[in-house]
Amino acid sequence: MFALSAFAQTAPKPPSTHLKVGDSAPELVLNDTDGTAVKLSDFKGKKSVVLAFYVLAFTGG
Amino acid sequence: MDSFAANKRFAQDIGVKFPLLSDWKRKAVRDYGIYNEESGYGTRATFVVDKDGKIQHIELGKTAIDPTGAFQVCDLLQKKKPTKQ
Repeated sequence: MFALSAFAQTAPKPPSTHLKVGDSAPELVLNDTDGTAVKLSDFKGKKSVVLAFYVLAFTGG
Repeated sequence: MDSFAANKRFAQDIGVKFPLLSDWKRKAVRDYGIYNEESGYGTRATFVVDKDGKIQHIELGKTAIDPTGAFQVCDLLQKKKPTKQ
């Protein structure tokens, strides 16, 4: 019983977010590879945007 | 989470054709609710945002590596007729 309890405490939580489909996307202002700030709102009314958060993939962090 | 300079080298190496952005301060992952306090990193995730700034698709975790769902949503958004204002 103790072992089961310990396992339950250490099992990783599935990823989640407070955001849901239909919500307004939070504004993003991030630098591109030239150090130029890119704003998500710059694309509003012009293009749909895919935001791919690709953490720890190929690079150092 | 890499610096933009590290991203530039990475972009050159693989020849990306889209903006590669740096979330150095981890603000974006926090704002999007995918920051893991224990690891200090964000969860892998894909969000599709339509022209109105509304989220139309969310994929979280390991499955976010597969872009199929995002492609399908983008395809639907392209076919969607613009609404009259």
